Amino acid sequence: MFLYILQGLVWTVIITVGGFTFGAVVGVGVAAARVATSRIVRIIARVWVDVIRGVPPLVWLFVVFFGLAEVGLRLTAFQAAILTFSLIASAYLGEIYRGGLAALGKGQVEAAHSLGLGRFDILARIVSPQVLRTVSPSMVTYGIGLMKDSALASTIGVVEMTFRANQVTQNTGQGLTAFAIVGAIYLAMSIPLGVWARRVDNRMREKYVVA
Amino acid sequence: MESSTIPYLRAQGVTKDFGSVRVLDDVSMDINSGDVVSIIGPSGAGKSTFLRCINLLETPTEGVLEIGDFRITIGPGHKHATKKELSTLRRNVGMVFQSFNLFPHLSVLENICLAQRRVLGRDKDAARVRAFELLDRVGLSDKADAFPGRCSGGQQQRVAIARSLSLDPQVMLFDEPTSALDPEVGAEILAVMRELADDGMTMIIVTHEMAFAQEVGDRIYVMVDGRIVESGAPAQVMTNPTHERTKKFLGAVLGR
Repeated sequence: MFLYILQGLVWTVIITVGGFTFGAVVGVGVAAARVATSRIVRIIARVWVDVIRGVPPLVWLFVVFFGLAEVGLRLTAFQAAILTFSLIASAYLGEIYRGGLAALGKGQVEAAHSLGLGRFDILARIVSPQVLRTVSPSMVTYGIGLMKDSALASTIGVVEMTFRANQVTQNTGQGLTAFAIVGAIYLAMSIPLGVWARRVDNRMREKYVVA
Repeated sequence: MESSTIPYLRAQGVTKDFGSVRVLDDVSMDINSGDVVSIIGPSGAGKSTFLRCINLLETPTEGVLEIGDFRITIGPGHKHATKKELSTLRRNVGMVFQSFNLFPHLSVLENICLAQRRVLGRDKDAARVRAFELLDRVGLSDKADAFPGRCSGGQQQRVAIARSLSLDPQVMLFDEPTSALDPEVGAEILAVMRELADDGMTMIIVTHEMAFAQEVGDRIYVMVDGRIVESGAPAQVMTNPTHERTKKFLGAVLGR
């Protein structure tokens, strides 16, 4: 039983990592749009974020899987799951980036300008590294949340861990064992991630922040 | 005495509006190469804004800037400064901030090397050599590998000065460089600045350090409500101010 459920881990990991990666990339665009000079762009970004965050992930999953199929875009359950979690992650991570940008002192960019650094250098060498450092704990926390949310993909038929545990339960009636195993596997991933995030955060603090 | 020298830095009719508030009103200043001038005046008078207009960190609403061969006219009907113009300007004009603004994720050495490499295109070794010269000059060679967070305020400000100097600027702007520091630590910074002045650096200093302005400066400008109300040799302005507002301000800061 354990091995059977464990086989679903691949999909859990792929959906989590896939959604997180796309979301992390698109989120940069979302954050940039949120602080854009153009008012219209800012409003669009804001609506994007609010709409995505204001609807339960399960509903989004159904909208993408069943809804898009109805209008002729037939995605496999796996594709639908990746797409959905990417969109959701883009909104949340975009907001996390924006928070990090806001936390960056105005003086940093001014100092960089005063040294004649160009836009690209300022973004790549001054802003990004500092924002990433500020937001990395929040990003890991969000990643852990995303991993847990990926269980929702079982509802549209992605054969990941939760789906398999459900199958086992239906066939054997050993729901307690099956779901205890699933829970344990999720824990075995989320706890080390959390510990790692805290450790990285502490190390950064020690190195950079005023004593 | 040469009376016909063309000023190295000339600001003419610099005006800045923030919305409907006029924070700078027709400010002009001529500064010769090697001059050290101080701008004093009450808070909110626009001193920092004026300084920031000189390297275009703040875009004036109107005005003309001439710095060496660089000349730009800003105002209605004129183009914005191009990237290249900004880069040229900022390479020649160094700036030191009240809050240091070192890059906290880079070591002291990296702070000083970054712009040398990216803006001047110096190679790694040349940048390092120059950085160590400057660190030596501000007495912090032993801090090269430290991160700013591990340096005291005074040390950070000295690194910030070294960082600005690393581009070999023609003019240095100081925006209340000692205001965030204890008087004792501030004195270290003033000592570094005095040395710079002695070496012939052209400097514009916004400051509340009256003794320093009097002793080191060639000229003092008094700014009130966005205008320069008085300027002259330090001794004259300090001991014999003509403008009512200057008298009031000096009375308040000098306690007389």
